[in-house]
Amino acid sequence: MTTEVLWWIFAVAIVAVSAGVVFARTVIHSAIFLILSLAGVGAMYLFLTIEFIALVQFLIYGGAVTVLILLALMLTRMGIAGRPEPTTGVQAPFGALVAAGLMATLIGVAVSTAWPGDLGQNAVAVSIENIGEQLFQNFGAPFMIMAALLLVAFIGAIVIARQEDED
Amino acid sequence: MVPMENYLVLSGIIFSLGVYGVLARRNAVLVLMSVELMLNAVSLNFVAFSAYLDPDKATGIIFAVFVIAVAAAEVGLALAIVIRLFRNRSTANVDEAATMRW
Repeated sequence: MTTEVLWWIFAVAIVAVSAGVVFARTVIHSAIFLILSLAGVGAMYLFLTIEFIALVQFLIYGGAVTVLILLALMLTRMGIAGRPEPTTGVQAPFGALVAAGLMATLIGVAVSTAWPGDLGQNAVAVSIENIGEQLFQNFGAPFMIMAALLLVAFIGAIVIARQEDED
Repeated sequence: MVPMENYLVLSGIIFSLGVYGVLARRNAVLVLMSVELMLNAVSLNFVAFSAYLDPDKATGIIFAVFVIAVAAAEVGLALAIVIRLFRNRSTANVDEAATMRW
């Protein structure tokens, strides 16, 4: 019972701050809302009793990714602070239409589908040992490809963002 | 306990908000943050399915790990592109970056 009440509080808060990310007028406010939203989803993983993903979420998203985004916001400061500028383009109504349709579809499908093997409506704890065994035994090759992908992506990022001498 | 559909509905709402942000916002960094929202909704979905329907194999959890890794690579690369765009054009507005070459 307590878990359910807490879950609903977190769910409403996550939806609110996620809406804040896309509707906030200041980019810094959006970034702060994004941090809150990512932390909220991390709390959702705790509700699902998947501690490993929750920790990864807090570390990678809450730490590294938000720092990168804040850095990019600082480096791409536009115009005079506080100058009112439209934050959305002319395509905003169509975007809202598409997003509303998608939301209705997703919610409808999630509610109306009879999911197979839904055992007693309970999340089952998955041990970190199990995750590690799966990751390094059955998914060993994708794991190594992922490491190579990360390395290549960040070398590429350095090459793209590098200050060239003739500038 | 909380039924699985609640997680699916929550992640659907977050995903749709991200779609709106990607389609409507003009600042390139904001578009990226909306993409992060969408990726988060997807991995929440994967983990919820894994925890409720397939706890023995943990496949959805592994998939969420890969989604997070790809998201890290994507955000690093895309922010480098945004910084490059800002240096060349003095703007981070996606509507003004419409030409393929100049």
